[in-house]
Amino acid sequence: MGLTRRDFIKASAAAAAFAAVGVPVVRPKGVDAAETGITWGKAPCRYCGVGCSVLVGVKGGKIVSTKGDPAGPVNKGLNCIKGYFLSKALYGKDRLTKPLIRKGNKMVEASWDEALNLIASKYGKAIAEHGPDSVAMYGSGQWTVQEGYAASKLMKGGIGTNNLEPNARLCMASAVVAFMNTFGSDEPMGCYDDLDLGDTYILWGANMAEAHPVLFSRLIDNKLKHPKVRLIDIATRRTRTTKMADEYIAMRPQGDLAALNAIIHVILRDKLYDGAFIKQHVSFKRGKENAPYGLKDKEAFNETPADVKNLSFDEYKELMKKFTPQWGEKISGIPAKKIEELALVYTDKSRKVNSLWTMGVNQHSRGVWVNNLIYNLHLLTGKICKPGENPLSLTGQPSACGTAREVGTFAHRLPSDMVVMNEAHRKKTAGIWGIDPNKIPAKVGLHTMEMFRAIDRNELKCIWIQCTNPFQSLPNLSRLRKAAEARKAFIVVSDIYPTRSTELADVILPSASWVEKEGVFGNTERRTQQWFKMIDAPGQAKEDVWQLIEFAKRMGLGHLFPYSEKGLHREIWEEYRKFTIGSGKDLAPYEAYTKVRGLRWPVKPDGKETRWRYTEADDPYVKKGEGIKFYKAPGNKVNVWFRPYEPPAESPDKDYPFWFCTGRLLEHWHTGTMTGRVPELKRAVSGATIELHPEDAKRLGIRNRDQVRITSRRGSIVLPAEINGRSTPEKGNVFTTFFDETKLINELCIDAFDPLSKEPDFKKCAVKVKKA
Amino acid sequence: MGDETPHTGMSRRQFLKGSAATPLALMLAGGGVVSVYLRPADARGFTLRPPGAIAEKRFLAACVRCGKCAQACPYQSIRMAGGEAGVGIGTPVIIPREMPCYLCQDLPCVRACPSGALDKKLEDVEKVRMGTAVIIDRESCLSIRGLRCEVCYRQCPLIDKAITLEARHNIRTGEHSILEPVVHKEKCVGCGICEKSCVLPKPVIVVQGLVEIQKDSYDF
Repeated sequence: MGLTRRDFIKASAAAAAFAAVGVPVVRPKGVDAAETGITWGKAPCRYCGVGCSVLVGVKGGKIVSTKGDPAGPVNKGLNCIKGYFLSKALYGKDRLTKPLIRKGNKMVEASWDEALNLIASKYGKAIAEHGPDSVAMYGSGQWTVQEGYAASKLMKGGIGTNNLEPNARLCMASAVVAFMNTFGSDEPMGCYDDLDLGDTYILWGANMAEAHPVLFSRLIDNKLKHPKVRLIDIATRRTRTTKMADEYIAMRPQGDLAALNAIIHVILRDKLYDGAFIKQHVSFKRGKENAPYGLKDKEAFNETPADVKNLSFDEYKELMKKFTPQWGEKISGIPAKKIEELALVYTDKSRKVNSLWTMGVNQHSRGVWVNNLIYNLHLLTGKICKPGENPLSLTGQPSACGTAREVGTFAHRLPSDMVVMNEAHRKKTAGIWGIDPNKIPAKVGLHTMEMFRAIDRNELKCIWIQCTNPFQSLPNLSRLRKAAEARKAFIVVSDIYPTRSTELADVILPSASWVEKEGVFGNTERRTQQWFKMIDAPGQAKEDVWQLIEFAKRMGLGHLFPYSEKGLHREIWEEYRKFTIGSGKDLAPYEAYTKVRGLRWPVKPDGKETRWRYTEADDPYVKKGEGIKFYKAPGNKVNVWFRPYEPPAESPDKDYPFWFCTGRLLEHWHTGTMTGRVPELKRAVSGATIELHPEDAKRLGIRNRDQVRITSRRGSIVLPAEINGRSTPEKGNVFTTFFDETKLINELCIDAFDPLSKEPDFKKCAVKVKKA
Repeated sequence: MGDETPHTGMSRRQFLKGSAATPLALMLAGGGVVSVYLRPADARGFTLRPPGAIAEKRFLAACVRCGKCAQACPYQSIRMAGGEAGVGIGTPVIIPREMPCYLCQDLPCVRACPSGALDKKLEDVEKVRMGTAVIIDRESCLSIRGLRCEVCYRQCPLIDKAITLEARHNIRTGEHSILEPVVHKEKCVGCGICEKSCVLPKPVIVVQGLVEIQKDSYDF
């Protein structure tokens, strides 16, 4: 194999600055005398999945200062503008401070006892009358590890239902399924060091400049230092990322499926692949095709082992013959010549090639397939598991990895890559939880879309939403909001501010946020970061894990949480850690994390972190002389999947001639419930706009800032036009952001989802556009 | 400056009505309230006038203080100056930090001006020259300090023309880049959207009066 110990040492030298782990929590340098009396603590940033470290200065029980932590390996003291104003997210004037209970159309103040007793009685009644699958919990990739763990134990081990989902279903589920069906283990082999060490970066539909701000400035620095570095942006929209890229390749929506297949075709046709790597590490598979789009309720689609065909390399090559560059051009809009060029870039032996992607690939009606195809490129060329040369799936939430994925708060998952369908996994879990293995149902629970549709169908009686805002963020939103407004289910919402979800709740619980509690987050690069509580939550607000345990006590499940009040977070951690030991995802004792700015798992027996998985150079699970070993995959062989092109669920037509795409911008985060409370960020960007291509705008008589009506088959909204602004969609495309709580743009989105990951496609549906 | 700008014919007049802007008489009655917000001139005596304003001295003579430009402004960006403006009392000003000029493509303020104080020959918004943005406090600018801010750049209506981002290595961290907003005064219209959107309490980017472009060759 290509990677030698020497390469690794070279890489280590290049990243010597990372030796900074182990720096204790101390006052930051440069703190002057005027700041005395301030106690400083460390915490990961509350917002995106990058995982910047921040220092939090507290005086008199209040945060008086936050700054980027110079000892943080990810950000080295920097922040983006959201992180700069991080503390303000906690100090909005309308923080929820008391439990509220619905009395008709009014929300009335209540005590915690009243609220929790009410929730327990509603859940108890539903379970007694309709069984445990009539209740659910909907959490978050912003839950701390401890919160997610408690929720999983409560729902799966206590109540006995797998109706537990995180909002990460809306963002990372496609990445997860592809990690599992390719490598047999979730989360990337590479890490952020690859951004410093590589020389070729191909972005598939990712606006990294705005969605992963600090990471992007790191990538650009590599480009500044090394003239060889090339950044290729393949997208449907010219963004701030495009502006800094070396090359922009315009692609039609859903065109990634065709373009990737055509690139692979060229690699096979011209024998540009790494035969030795393939022989040693790869098996070829073909899955189920002609999949539905999940538009009908309860539409079932599964790719069971019986549906999977093994292919020989020759059979695979034969199947790929039809995906010529010309065919790729016809579907993707990327010129055949460019497809040939990309194949040469991916296979250039003098280049360290990385693929980067996020929601453009994941929020896709064939998102798992696109993830699979990107892995195919890296597996066929052997450009994987080497410093500076990896596919890297970027995440969007601070603990989508640490909580939703590693703890496994999905309807099918258990901690550390285990699943509810597997009897051995249930047994292992029950053993650690100290419960009867039969308590954990083998049946997969409701995935997010079905969970909220089940409310409309009167099948779900109770749902508890923590730390997320689904009644703004779900697609085809009107149907789901109407069901909630009709009070078809008993809805509990725990949050820190009034949101578009709390307005539909029967009980609103005030939560503690970020450093008002203790916790652990895990970021994109497998980095686990811990922080302590630094200030009290306002009023009677309580942390989510307390809420869950108090509820459990009232459900007669208090015995599942035998933790001490003082050591709660540490004790949950140590219990959870048992799942990880020996799994290849080993975590360190709690104490270790209190002293460092995070460690990347698997943490080695000597306490050191792992930067690259599956390689003898770094991964403790790969013995000397084994080179690269995909030890989590069956037979140590990873899968190259044959995944053809299939069209999106809805495409533009005569009546709805435009593609509609949604996403993020730098100044605000998710549904804006936090950044919307920061006056400086509101001043910078006050509301959503609709981006149009200038020629489309001209044809429709729309000028910059004109009010424009956008209508889909599901909803209609008026937004001001933005033309020639920060981003410009390709002709025939319009784009808007989802942070603005006054504009429920997700009412327009189609609730089609990937049949394997059940992740909705927020990036593609058809709309009409006219001047309002 | 105004008379140096190459203006051509007039575009279709189309402005939004219903502005609650204050004409002179009303303003005098309740001037106290308005003047709280006013920064009619900066330290160097610069007053930001609506698009198309002719040179300041001639502007003061030409403007009839009718307030029609303010009434025509759909964003209420144009206000009428109060007593503290001295001879400029009742003339239209823009205070970008409160409400910048959003550069309506049909320039309704210019079309509304009956006196020629706003030059009707102006029809291309990119040719507007009200002033120019200047980063006045580099030490405080978050972007120049290496943070990912660049709000002024992304909000600039002439993004990548009037403000560009220049990337350079960040010595402080050794592995990030500084993305510095750089204003190009030959393209900047002086609308003040950057000043409005700067996230710092005292904006580090502000609109100042135009200065002549000075060459780097010495022409005797």
